[in-house]
Amino acid sequence: MRDAPSNAAEDSAACLARAAVSVVDLHKSFGALEVLKGVSLTACEGEVVSILGSSGSGKSTMLRCINLLETPDHGTIRVGRETLSFEKDRKGRAAWADRRQVERLRRDAAMVFQSFNLWSHMTVLENVVAAPIHVLKRPRAQCVAEAEALLAKVGIADRRNYYPAHLSGGQQQRAAIARALAMQPRVLLFDEPTSSLDPELVGEVLRVMRSLADEGRTMLVVTHEMAFARDVSSQVLFLHRGRIDEEGPPDEVFSRPRSERLRQFLAAAG
Amino acid sequence: MASATFDLIGFGPEGWGPALLRAAAMTFVLSVAGFLSGAALGAIAAFARLSGDRFARVAAFAYSVLFRGVPDLLTIYLLYFGGSVALTMIGHWLGARGFVGLPLFATGMAALGVISGAYQAEVYRGAFLAIHRGEIEAARAFGMSGLTMLRKLVVPQVLRYAIPGLGNVWQLVLKDSALVSVIGLVELMRQAQVGAGSTREPFVFFCAAGALYLVIAAATGALFRTVERRSRRGFRMV
Amino acid sequence: MDITFLADTLVELLKGAPLTLELAATSVGLGFVLALALGLTLQSAPAALRWSIRGYVTMFRGTPLLVQIFLIYYGLGQFRPTLETLGLWGFFRQPYWCAILALTLNTAAYGAEIIRGGLQSVPYGQIEAARACGMPPWTAYRLVVLPIALRQALPSYGNEIILMIKGTSLTSIVTLLEITGVAQQIISQTYRAVEVFACAGAIYLSMNYLVAQSLAALEHWLSPHLRTPNIEDAVAIEGGLH
Repeated sequence: MRDAPSNAAEDSAACLARAAVSVVDLHKSFGALEVLKGVSLTACEGEVVSILGSSGSGKSTMLRCINLLETPDHGTIRVGRETLSFEKDRKGRAAWADRRQVERLRRDAAMVFQSFNLWSHMTVLENVVAAPIHVLKRPRAQCVAEAEALLAKVGIADRRNYYPAHLSGGQQQRAAIARALAMQPRVLLFDEPTSSLDPELVGEVLRVMRSLADEGRTMLVVTHEMAFARDVSSQVLFLHRGRIDEEGPPDEVFSRPRSERLRQFLAAAG
Repeated sequence: MASATFDLIGFGPEGWGPALLRAAAMTFVLSVAGFLSGAALGAIAAFARLSGDRFARVAAFAYSVLFRGVPDLLTIYLLYFGGSVALTMIGHWLGARGFVGLPLFATGMAALGVISGAYQAEVYRGAFLAIHRGEIEAARAFGMSGLTMLRKLVVPQVLRYAIPGLGNVWQLVLKDSALVSVIGLVELMRQAQVGAGSTREPFVFFCAAGALYLVIAAATGALFRTVERRSRRGFRMV
Repeated sequence: MDITFLADTLVELLKGAPLTLELAATSVGLGFVLALALGLTLQSAPAALRWSIRGYVTMFRGTPLLVQIFLIYYGLGQFRPTLETLGLWGFFRQPYWCAILALTLNTAAYGAEIIRGGLQSVPYGQIEAARACGMPPWTAYRLVVLPIALRQALPSYGNEIILMIKGTSLTSIVTLLEITGVAQQIISQTYRAVEVFACAGAIYLSMNYLVAQSLAALEHWLSPHLRTPNIEDAVAIEGGLH
């Protein structure tokens, strides 16, 4: 469990100044269904924010808005130095004008998906070096060296020439984490990273994520793994029906939940 | 100018409309006849391919490879000229003179049958192999006789799985029927050629022919899709 | 069985083979480029353009190749004066170019459908992962979408190549001397239709066999990621997770 800040107000003011990620008043609808009804979050450098909620609460949508895989209807998103604001246009459709700004933002916010989404026609090594070489335009030899180090770090160095289809789920997800790390992002986005894994493979992925947190990486994690959220996060958000029902440090949220819905959620999650 | 065009293919005194429509009907009938002959040939070939008899398997395989690998035009020529040569020899032996040609419709139907049979054999074979082994095992476990199993289990399922493939083969037969024009049968292609030659307006006539082929293709395509949808009742989309 | 005649016929017929291959290769090559362009355009074009492309595809897939060849060779001949003023008559007068045009347009229509199917089969998650890395659209196409789509399309496209080789035989009807055209020439001189056509059939069969084998080899080479892993890998995946 992370240490609680000694002077909350001071720290949070300082933090806002150098926040790695901030999201303000995000709204998103799919057709007639309003999925996000005004959510905000701020994560400072080195913080781990866990986002909890039941299905349909909007937690994945929120994460996917941060790297603009979904386009918010309203709100502001800031990752590193890139800030984008959204307003619904007159026709009621939202759009972003500058594609390049979005690409820059996405380079700083690397995502790890629930279904891994490794590129099936490339080996693990090729998966990890593809974006650094072709998006960051760094020299190949350097990218390969760094990729091999990352693969060793996540524990699958010997699988570098395997294709995703020939790996277990846990190995694929660890490869996906290496792929995300290769972009040297400011923040890592995890969208239910262990939900597709067989129970016995969940541990190996969580171990890697814990070590990343210990290193001081900024991470936003949508998850159902309560133990992980409790032990590793500095902040926990609980979403319900598109709104933030409760937020705070993990010991408060888990031990002294204020909202009834959160209490029910925690009880059901066991 | 356009009205002159429509006079040409229309139904007036100068119009080739009726002739073209009759020819289109001939195309349709020829294609149906060819497709059905092919269904029979294809079913036999698929059966042979799946049987235990090694000779039957090899023969069926050779048939399938041969008529899918050789241009359809060549098959039509071979059947017509080869058959006519044989018939002429028989004719001479019986005292006739000159060239005895095979009957055009029958030859066209046979050629389309032989060609589409090769493709249909593959479709039926694939459909048979797609049937879940478990269902056949269950049928045996319940004591169903071979013939009953065939009737109640195999044939209905083969037809269901085969329909998309058969739809494709049908479209192929429809288009191949145009090649039968080379032996002189007056189906749509030939009629368009005759009209084009007679009026010196090939563009008009071949466009009209194309349009009629499209109409037949679209109508029969829709029919196949309806049959396909109905056959999938009660089954989850694979 | 007149072996000498058969041998001589084969030699004669093979003189038509270069033209057959030339027609097939040119039309398939040009047709592929066109099909790729159409397939990619279909993904992101305005509605009017999409409908035009679909209309073209429907027309060329729904009508016989022979009609298309005749339409271009004889049909466009009806507009000779217009074509002459446009300077295009030299092109459309020649059966060779008319054949190439007809074959190309035909195969491009089928190819566009095949490529469309290939593009749709790319798992959406992998495209998202590419976007999430900040890849610009064209880079994502180059690295992820097209490699997967084209591998998926390869078996169907291989089939299309074989159909095109067979399709070249129709050009004999507009006087081109590819294999079938040469065959008809020989028959008109020797009247031995069955033997000549049988030889021609054998040549086509061999060509298609070679093409099919090459394609199978190409498919095999391009898809290590789809093959089952060998025994040691399988054991490693099952047993050793570390």
